[in-house]
This record gives sequence, C-alpha cells and structure tokens, in this order.
Amino acid sequence: MTVLSQLIAAEKKAQRGWLAIACLASMAVAAGSVALLGVSGWFITASALAGLAGPLAAGAFNYLLPAAIIRLCAILRTGGRYAERVIGHDAALGALARLRPKIFAGIMAAPVKFALGLSVGDASSRMVQDVDLLEARFVRIPVPWGLAVGVLTGMVILVPAGIAPALATLAILGITIGCGWLLACLSAEAGRNVQRVTARLKDRYATLVSSASELRAYGLENWAAQEIARESEALLKAQKQLTAWGGWFALLQATAAGLAAMLAMALSAHQFLPLAAMAALGAAMTVDCAGPFLRGLEAQGGWAEAAHRLERLLEAPTVSTGIAVRPAERPEIRFLRFGAVLVPGSVTGLTGRSGIGKTTILEKLVGLRHDDDVTILLDRWSLPVIDPADLRRAFAYAPQDAAMLAGSVRDNLRLAAGEATDDLLWQALEDAALADTIRALPQGLDTWIGENGAVLSGGERRRLSLARAYLRAAPWLLLDEPTAGLDQATEQRVVERLRARLAASGQGAIIVSHRPAPLALCTALITLHESGAEVLGQSAEGPSRLGGHSLHISPAV
Amino acid sequence: MDRSAPDFRLLKTRQKARRAAWLAELGKSGGGMTRIAGTVLTLESVAAIGFAAALAYGLTALPRGLPAAAPWLVLGVVSATVRGGCGFLSARTGAEAARRAKSILRDRMTRHSLALPLSQRPETGALMTAAIDRVETLDGYIARFLPAKAAVSGLFLVLVATAVASPVGAAILAATLLPFIFLMILAGTAAADQAAAQFQAMMRLGAVFADRIRALPLILAFQAEAAETSRLAQAAGDLKRRTMAVLRIAFISSAGLEFFAALAVALVAVYCGFNLLGLAPEFVQPFHFGHLDLARAFFILALAPEFYLPMRRLAATYHDRQSAETAADGLMAIAAQAPPAAAAPLALQAAPRIRFDHVMLRYPGHDHAVLDAFTLDIAPGQTVALLGPSGAGKTSILNLLLGLVEPTQGRVFIDDHALGPLATVAGSVGWVGQSPLITAGTLAENIALARPDATGTEILLAAREAGLSAMLATRAQGLQTDIDERGSGLSGGERQRVALARFFLNPAPLLLLDEPTAHVDAAAEEALVASIAKAAQGRTTLIATHSPRLAAIADRIVRLEAE
Repeated sequence: MTVLSQLIAAEKKAQRGWLAIACLASMAVAAGSVALLGVSGWFITASALAGLAGPLAAGAFNYLLPAAIIRLCAILRTGGRYAERVIGHDAALGALARLRPKIFAGIMAAPVKFALGLSVGDASSRMVQDVDLLEARFVRIPVPWGLAVGVLTGMVILVPAGIAPALATLAILGITIGCGWLLACLSAEAGRNVQRVTARLKDRYATLVSSASELRAYGLENWAAQEIARESEALLKAQKQLTAWGGWFALLQATAAGLAAMLAMALSAHQFLPLAAMAALGAAMTVDCAGPFLRGLEAQGGWAEAAHRLERLLEAPTVSTGIAVRPAERPEIRFLRFGAVLVPGSVTGLTGRSGIGKTTILEKLVGLRHDDDVTILLDRWSLPVIDPADLRRAFAYAPQDAAMLAGSVRDNLRLAAGEATDDLLWQALEDAALADTIRALPQGLDTWIGENGAVLSGGERRRLSLARAYLRAAPWLLLDEPTAGLDQATEQRVVERLRARLAASGQGAIIVSHRPAPLALCTALITLHESGAEVLGQSAEGPSRLGGHSLHISPAV
Repeated sequence: MDRSAPDFRLLKTRQKARRAAWLAELGKSGGGMTRIAGTVLTLESVAAIGFAAALAYGLTALPRGLPAAAPWLVLGVVSATVRGGCGFLSARTGAEAARRAKSILRDRMTRHSLALPLSQRPETGALMTAAIDRVETLDGYIARFLPAKAAVSGLFLVLVATAVASPVGAAILAATLLPFIFLMILAGTAAADQAAAQFQAMMRLGAVFADRIRALPLILAFQAEAAETSRLAQAAGDLKRRTMAVLRIAFISSAGLEFFAALAVALVAVYCGFNLLGLAPEFVQPFHFGHLDLARAFFILALAPEFYLPMRRLAATYHDRQSAETAADGLMAIAAQAPPAAAAPLALQAAPRIRFDHVMLRYPGHDHAVLDAFTLDIAPGQTVALLGPSGAGKTSILNLLLGLVEPTQGRVFIDDHALGPLATVAGSVGWVGQSPLITAGTLAENIALARPDATGTEILLAAREAGLSAMLATRAQGLQTDIDERGSGLSGGERQRVALARFFLNPAPLLLLDEPTAHVDAAAEEALVASIAKAAQGRTTLIATHSPRLAAIADRIVRLEAE
C-alpha cells in the first residue's frame, strides 16, 4: 500500500459517518430520478385509459397516490442531490486540507538532494492542482451506491412489465459500463500523453526563454519561438485528443439510454399499456443513472496521474543514517583536509576567491548538501553519518543570499526562535544594527517584507538574516558574507556588536568574507586555494602557522 | 478615503470589460469551429424532440401491435443515436476550436515574452506557467462553455414543440423558467464575490507553498518544519472554508435547477393526468387543439426534462468560464507590459568602438542602481576584462550591449550609433555564456544555430578552431553525434567550446563573454583561455569574469565595485 493510499484510507475512515450520509443521499437521488419519470409515465397512461373508459371509471381512479409519489420523488431528488453534494464536498475538502500539510511535511523529511532539487513551480502545482484532482475522487465515493440503488429502483419499475424488458435494460447497462471502462482506459493513455508532452514543452520553454543573451546575440528569437511552437503543437494535439474522448462518452450514454427505452417498450408490447409506459421511461432513466459513474470513469486517468505524481513526492526515502551517533552539546569541528580543528567558542575566518567552495563548506555543515564528504567531522563523526536534525542543532546559519520567507519581520525572526519574546527579537535586531530601521517602519515587527524580503534593501535583508541567526541558540554561528553590501559605518557597527555578542554568548563562529572588518574578529583564518588551503591562526600555544600536525583553533584568551 | 471606493469599483468594472473583450477575441480565434460546435449542440434539442415523439407515438401505437409501433421505435433509436452523435461532434469540433485558439495565443505569449526587456521580464517560471498552464486552462472555456452557451437557444425549440402539443404544458414550463432564471442571477451574483475570495485563498495557498519550497534551505537549517507545516495547514484550512462557501452557493443554484426540472416534470405529469381523466378545470380547455390525447400528453411529459437540459449543461461548464477569467487576468497582465519596439539591427562591418556614457541602470523594484554613472571608452579591437564581485553589474554591461536591458540614464554608443529601440547589434555579436544553450540534435546542428546555412566543412573548421578536435576524435559519429536537451555527455569545457564554435562559424566583429570559465576545471580553463584569446583577435571583446587567468589575456582590466 502506498503512502498516499494510506493517507487517503485514513481520511476515509475519519470521515466515515459523513461519507455514509452522502452515500444515502446519493441513493435517494437515484431512486427519486428513476421513479419520477417511471411513475409519471404510468400515471398519464393509466389516466388516459380511465378517462376513455368514461366518467365513472375516471371518478374511481385513485389519482392522489401517484400524484403524491411524483411530488415526493421530485423533492427526494432535489434535496438528496443538495445533501449529497454539500456533505460529500465538505468531507472531501476537509480530508484534503489535512492531506496538504502532510505532503509538505513529507517533502521536508525527504533527503535534501530530493527536497532541494524540487522545482518550485512543479512542486506547488502538485500541491495545489494534483491534490484538487484527488478531491474529485473523494467526492465520487457515493457514486457507485447511487448507481446500485438506481438500478434496483429501475428493476422494481421494469419487472411488472415483464422479465424480458428488465433483463434487456440490465444488459444494455452492463454493455454501457463495459464500453465506458474501455473508453476510460483509452482516454487515460491520452491523459498520460498530455502530461508527457507538457513536461517536454516546459523543459524546452525554460531552456530557450532563459537563454536570452544567446538568442539575442545570434538573432535566434524567431527560431526559438518556432521551436516552442513545434513542441506546443504536440501538446495541443494531445489535449485535443483528450478533450475529444468526451465525445465518445456522450455518444455512448445517449445511444444506450435511447436503445434501452425502445427495447423495453418493444418487449412489453403485449402488456397493459401503463406498465409499458412505465417500463420505457424507467429503462431510459436506469441507464441514465450510469452517467455520474461513466463521468467518474472518464476522469479516472487524470486522478491516477495526479496520485502517481503525488506518490513520487511522498515516497522519497526518509533520512536515516542507521547509526546512532550524537555529537556533544558543543561539538568541535574538524577539517581533515586542511588540518584544522575548530574548538567550541573559537572564531574562524574562511576566505578565498569566489567559486572556490566556501559556501559549500557551510552548506555541508548545515546538512543542506547531499554529499559523501567524510573529511569534515563534528566531534568524532563525519557529517554523512550524523542525523541531519542533530547536525543542524549545532548551527545558526546566515546564508549568503540572505533568503527570507514571504511574511512579516516577526515571521522571519520567529523562524529561528518560535517562542521568542518581542524583547529578544528587538535585542537581536539591535545587535544586527537594524533595530532603528525596523522601528521606523509603520508597522514595526509586523511589516510585511514581500517575497524574499523584496521590500527591504540588500543591506537590510542581510542584517535581518544576521539577527535571525543570532536568535537561534546554537553553539556555532555560520555567517556567509555577513557584511556584504553594507556601508563602512554600518559594517563597523555590525562587527563591533557581533564581537560583544560572541564574547557574551561564548558561541563559536565561522565567518566567510572577503572584507577585513569581519575577518578582524577571527582568531584564525583559512584561505582556500585551487590546490588546498592555508591555515593561519592563534592556537592555545600562541600564534602559529600550520606545520605537520593539525592546528587547534581555540577561542582567544 | 471616501473617493477611493468608487474608483476601485470603476477599475473593477473596467477590468471586467477588458477581460470580456479579451475572452470574446479569444473565442473568435477558434474560427468557425466554435460556431459549428454550438450549432450541433443546439441540434441535440431537435433530436430530443424526435425521441420524445417516438416514445409517445410508439407507445400509443403499441396496442395495435408491434409492427404498427415499429417505425416509431426505429425513429427513437435513430433520434437517440443522432443525439449522441451531436454530443460527439460538438466535443470534437469544440476541441479543435480550443486547439486553434490556444495555438495562436501561446505563440503570441511566447513571442511577447522573448521580446520583453530582461528588466521587465517576469521570472522564467512565471512566464512558463502563463504560456503553458494558463493557456491550457482556457481549453474548457472554448471547447465546452462557448458551445454550451450558444446551445441555450435549444430550450426555445423544446418550448415551441411543447406548445404545439399543449400550450398549457408549454406555459407550465415557461412559468417554472422565470423563477429559475431569477434564482440563477441571485446565486450567480453571490457566487462571483465568493469565487473571488476562494480564488484568493487558493493563490495564497499556492504562494505560501511555493515560497516555502523556495525557502526550504532556511526552514531546514532553522529546523522550523513543524511551525511551517502548521502555517500551511492554516492556509489549507482557509482554502477549504472558502471553497465550501463557493460550493454551497453553486449547489443551491444547481439544487434550484434540479428542483424546477423535477417540478416541471411533476406538474406536467399531474396536469396531463387530470386532463386525461377529464378532471382539468374548465378554463384551460379552450387552449387545446381539441382534447389532449395520450400521445400528446406523453410527448410533453417526455420533453419536460429536455427543456432544462441546455441550462443544466451551461451550469455544468460554468467553472470553465471562471477558470478562463482567472487565466485571462494573468495573461493580460503579461501582455500589457510595454510592447517592445521592433529594433533595427546595425550591421557591424569592422571591430567597433564602444562607449558607455554616464550609464545608470536600475532594475524596477530595486532600491539601488546596478550601475551608476558608468563611463567606459573601448577602442576598436580592444579586449577588456570586467572584474568584480557578483552583483557588481558585469552581466548587466553585456546585456546593455545586446539591448536586453535599457539604461535608466545615460547612453551606450557603438561606433557613433546610440543604442536604443532604433539600433541594436543583435545578429552581429558573438556570445559565450556560463551555460551555453544546448538543444536536442546533432553537434553540428548545435553549432550551426549561429548560421543555419553553413556547410559541413565550415562547421568542421569552426569546431576545430574552437578546440573541439580532440573531443570529435573520440566520438564515432564526430559532428553527427546526437546530443540531448540537457547536453548529457558534454563536459563543461566542451559546452563552452560548442558556444565558441558558434562564434567561429559566424565571426562577428564584437565578442561578448559572460564568465565563460565559471563551470570549468583548472586544466580545461587553461586550454579554453587559449582558444578565447584566439577568438578575441581583431575584434572588440568584453569578458566578464572572476578568473585571473582569463583576465590576463585582456588589454585592459576594468574593476567594478559592488555598491
């Protein structure tokens, strides 16, 4: 059983009561629809015969009961449909509202290689559109019940006219459903084809539209538009085929209903006329009852595809290293390749030309890279064997891109400390030299900073990212270019307050930077080269340069 | 404040009018197919009338024996088949109409997106969603909604047929139609506002989710998984509530449909029954053409449900219209962006002189300028290396020359021509970027993008000049080696060489390179630098790079500082 079907089964179980009511309502609708026309047909024909037989017979004819049944059926059908829809959708939407966060949690628990490799657009369309498609599947749960009761009612109406019309109707119904199933299989293939060519078109589109410079340089824009149009034609054709399958369902349903009515009439030719009338209309409505079921079959291909895509999202193996290792509360960091040991509380600068891999080292430490690098150790263990949760607990990270959530200043700070009081938030902003700026904003901490902090300037975003890292109580701060884009005066303030903060908290830090001011905080400096690294620093024994043994970088005394 | 509310309403009305015009235009681009689909669907009502007649007259002929009824039974089967055939044809022609309209629209969107200046261009992901997914959501609108709308007139056909058999029956149907339409309007108005709210909730959920996927590294690094999951649960719960609010209204209106359809059948049945029994009130008698007989009574009974069918069909495709309106807003927003002026390319004959004169460049929505009063004079044939940290504006300088962005202030000259809408150098520039465009096809086809009419020999020469000989020697099919879209099997250095070969095939007097050695290892870089130096000879060359080794081949180094 797949993870998705387990989730769906659990939701079905939770909604059992409401779904049962929806099923009952669906049955009422089907019974009402079939009986309404059947009884009406009988009623008119019987009235006509009674009318012809003279005033006496007409007076004796009991018209109250059938008239009441007809009205009852009309109410039953309307009310039942309304109840079925409202209850069914409420149950389905509730289930999906719970399914969505579970899928999100599943993505976050997946290995980083998978989770960070997801394309944003793709993942969010699965989350929104594919889950919506599953809703349709939930809503259709009562449909087979309705069909069953519709058929049963149809039989009650048909049997008085004879076994033959009843059997003929059943046979036509069976053939219709069989054909519907066959059509569904064929159209599902068309649906899969649409998915395939859409993915191909998207790939092509993304490649071409993002190569703007090349297209412009060689004057290839027209060519690119034609290339996209060619892939687009494939999608248009596939979608047209899928849409056109709907036509077969329309043909099947209409022909079957008409055939059933005529056959039932022909087979009850020798019967009392009102019974034949009831049989003809009843047969047509019985076959008509299969409509929602057929539409369900038609949509099945789409659901299966959606479920398949969601399953791939959910069934990435969850992270488990298999080894129970737990680094100390305040672990030391060892770089075997550079021969450097960072003792808890020490402050190390990491420098080197851009693209040399400084950020990569920080990302490995925070567990944001899928990597088999065993040359970096936390205490005695290499990074790949440590559970990411334990790894991340050791670090507070201010990334190079100073990424932000779309939300308020407070939302972004609370990311690091969910329970932090406003005082703590302001203190962190103060230490990042941003408190005055935020205070000046009309809504202070509640100011909405837009997608990825678009409302803030680059420098403000960077300082907000720093404040956020400060709020996380972790033994190590990892700061990637903490002062890039700041003017000198601000940089100086940020660095001074960072110095005070580090002294007070006893946190260690790795600071990636090109600039002298933040590097001045460091007791050691690792400079990366193409061919290795140079380590300079202050060890417990005083200033030294790396020799044959590892350099233990300890906090300044 | 008191003025802003009506203004907002006015804007909304205008937006609605524009959207309606846009959708009408779109509907027309389906060509005659939309009309055919609608007409065919209207004919379905005629087939329904035939079927009702077959039922009624077949039944009344039944007492005279099966042979007497047989022609009617055949008519019934034929009518039902014709009816299904109408649905079938309408689905097919509707699908074809949708295909045509979407094809035209997507091509327009693509060309528009490709021509938009980079500074105005939304992210590739957003453009892709618009041109592919949004355009696809118009399918139902053209294929189903428009034909269903055209076929509403079918109900009048049914009404006329009913009136011929029994004016009172027709009056009953018409009377139930009025409250029905009233109810539809009422529910429709309420639904529009609710639908807007629901749409916003859905957008919000999509946006929250997309944002959290984008910021996933942050969430993981700060171990905020639980908090973010509950936030998402909140957005999902909100969407559920709003969707239910929309659906309740939608279901009320469809229950109204059901009710009146059922009521019409019930009323017609009861009326006919009483009439046949001779119990109908005296005052309705004069409205019959003679006495209402069984055949006519049965006929209008069978026809009663058909009366509502066109409206129900329209209601069933109503969400197609709603999603089309949403898609239209998104597509119109992109199409409304400044239509790029068609630029006339300058044909460069010799290595040009390039002058940046106090160029200021600020991207919309950014608070600081990427370039400020940037001035640079490059002599013909000079090779200039642009150095500086990421974000200092190196790539922007190259894009200014390509005309992909326009200076906010100041001007760029090539020889004596100021670049602008009237003059670009597109088509006479060589370009090598960090990740060259690789398309599915052979190696030769990839190189020949720069000059599609090049002969095989010319391509081979260009490939050799770009230093691809060693690589070609290892491939059995040489230049005919197939390459897939992702360029699998090509190393970083080889991709750059393919880009360089493009330049050698169409050697322009101006060569621009954007970090061409960024994804290349040290050994490959050294070899590539030599090839680039060769390419730069005799042309004006600008190289944006971080690599000291590549910068060493330049005559001049310009350092840019990040702000």
